[in-house]
Amino acid sequence: MVTVEHLVKRYGRRVAVNDVSFSIYEGEIFGLIGPNGAGKTTTVECISGLRTPKSGSISVYGLSPQKDRNKMREFVGVQLQESALPPRLRVGEAVNLFASFYANPQDPNELLESLGIKDVEYSPFRKLSGGQKQRLSIALALVGNPRLAILDELTTGLDPEARRETWSLIERMRERGVTVILVTHFMDEAERLCDRLALINHGTVRALDTPEAIAAKAGGSRVRFAPSQAVDDQTLRAIPGVNEIERKERYVTVTGTGDLAGALISALAAIGVRISDVEARAGNLEDAFIKLTKDDASSVGKGVQA
Amino acid sequence: MTGPRRGESRSHRSRARFVELLKVQAKLALREPYALLGGLGLPAVLLALFGWISSQNPGNVGSTGLTVIELWTPTILVLAFIFISVSLPNTLVRDREIGWLRRVSTTPLHPSRLLAAQLIIDLILAAAAVVIIILGGALLFGASLHVQILPFGVSLLLAIAEIFAIGLVLVALLPTQTIAQPVAGVVVFALMFLAGLWVNPAQVGDPLRTIMYYSPSGAAVKAVVDSAFNGGASYAALLTMAVYAVIFGYIAVRYFRWE
Repeated sequence: MVTVEHLVKRYGRRVAVNDVSFSIYEGEIFGLIGPNGAGKTTTVECISGLRTPKSGSISVYGLSPQKDRNKMREFVGVQLQESALPPRLRVGEAVNLFASFYANPQDPNELLESLGIKDVEYSPFRKLSGGQKQRLSIALALVGNPRLAILDELTTGLDPEARRETWSLIERMRERGVTVILVTHFMDEAERLCDRLALINHGTVRALDTPEAIAAKAGGSRVRFAPSQAVDDQTLRAIPGVNEIERKERYVTVTGTGDLAGALISALAAIGVRISDVEARAGNLEDAFIKLTKDDASSVGKGVQA
Repeated sequence: MTGPRRGESRSHRSRARFVELLKVQAKLALREPYALLGGLGLPAVLLALFGWISSQNPGNVGSTGLTVIELWTPTILVLAFIFISVSLPNTLVRDREIGWLRRVSTTPLHPSRLLAAQLIIDLILAAAAVVIIILGGALLFGASLHVQILPFGVSLLLAIAEIFAIGLVLVALLPTQTIAQPVAGVVVFALMFLAGLWVNPAQVGDPLRTIMYYSPSGAAVKAVVDSAFNGGASYAALLTMAVYAVIFGYIAVRYFRWE
C-alpha cells in the first residue's frame, strides 16, 4: 500500500536518507527504528508529503505524496514529532476543528473518551501535561478516520502507564484495519506493536523483517552458566554456534546463534563437565539494534583509518 | 452520488469548515486580545485624551482650519489599524514557529485558510475601529465631519490594505517570536510617529512634513483628514498608499513561509 523505492534526501550537503526502500502492506503496523539522526523522521516526512525527496519514488495507495498531496491529505493522518498547538486553543475545540476538515470524521467525543482526555476537553493546550499533549496529538491524527496513520515518536515523554495505554490504542487501530507507520527509538515499543520493521542507520536500511526475525538474526541468544570445573575458551569456541565468551567470577556467559543452551549442555556433558545455574535468554531487538548500529560505527571507523 | 451534487456537497463542506475555523480563530482572538486592545481599547483611551485636550484648547490649530480632535482623530484611527496589523506577527509567527501551521498543512485544510480567517477577523476589528473612532470623535468630542464619501471609503480601504501588508511583511520576514516582538515594536513606534501621534504633520515644517506625508502611516492620516474633515480628496496620499500596498503585498507574498 505504501512503497518507497531508492529514496534519497539531502539537507544541503548532508545526506539524511541514502537509498531507502521498503513496502508496507495494508493493515499492518510498520515500524521505523534507528538511532537519533538516522533518517527516520525525514523518511516519513517524505511519505507524508511534507518534504520533497532528492530522488527515488514513493507511492501511497497509488498516489504520489508530492504530486497528489491534496488527495492524500484526506486519508493520511499525521502526528508530527515536534508540533504544538496555539497555547490557548482548547482540547475539544482542536479536535472538533480538525474533525471539520475531513469528509468522514470520527466522533470527536468518542475519540476523546477512548484516549482518556475527555476530562480535559475544556483545558487550553498550554495547561496540558506532556502525556495529555501527546494524546491530543494522536487524536488529531486519527479524527479524520485515516487509512494510513503516520506516528512519529509517539510515546516520547510519556510515563509508563500512558505509554501502555497508547500502545493498546494503536493495537485497536490495527483491529480497525488502519495501516500504521510508527517511528520510534524504543525497542520494546517496536517489539510489542510492529508487524514488521525497518532498522535505519546513517540513512540506509540495515534490516527489514519482523521484530522476531531481526532479533534472532542479529541479536543471537545468550546463555549464562556455572561449569562444575574450569573450561577453557578453546573448548567453548569449538562448540557450534558460540560467538563470544565472557567470564565473571564462576559464571561464564556465552553469546551466539542457534540452540545455544542445548549445544552447550550436550557438548560439555560429553567431556564430563556438568553445568548449573543456567540462565538462557533469546536475543531481543535491543541486542540486534545495538549490534547492527555498532557494526556501522566500527565500519565507519575503519573507513576513516583506511 | 452524481457529479454536480458531489461538487455542491464539497463546496458546502468547505464553507462549513471555514465557518468552524472562523469561530475558533475568533475565540483565540478574544483570549489573546492584542488586536482587540490595540485596535479598540487603546484608541478609545487616546480619543478621550485628545478630546479633553481639544476641549481645553478650543479653536483651530494654527492655520490648519481644524480643531485638535479633528486633526488627531485620523491619527488615532490609523494607530488602530497599525495595532491590529502588528498583532498578525504576534500570532502567526508563533503559530509557524511551534509547528501549528505545518500540522494544519497535513490536513485537507490549506494553512492559507487559517491566514484568511485571521485576516477576516482583523478586518472586522478594523471596521469596528472606524465606526467607534470616527463616530466617537464626532459625537462625543465635537469633531465636525465634512465627509467626501467616495474618497473616504477609498482612503480607508487603501490604509487598511497597506498597513495590514506591513504586518504580513513582518510575518514573512521574521523567523521567530524572539525576533518578531522587538522588531514589530520598533516598526510600531516609527509608524506611530509618522502618523503624527506626537507632532501632527499639519504642524511641522519641511522636510519632516513631506517625509510624514509620504510615509505609509502619514499618507493614511492625510487621506483620512482630507476626506473626512476637509471635504476633499488627497490624490497624492491615495497614490502613495496604493504604491505601498503593492510593494508590501508583493514582499509578503514573495517571502511568506508556512513552516
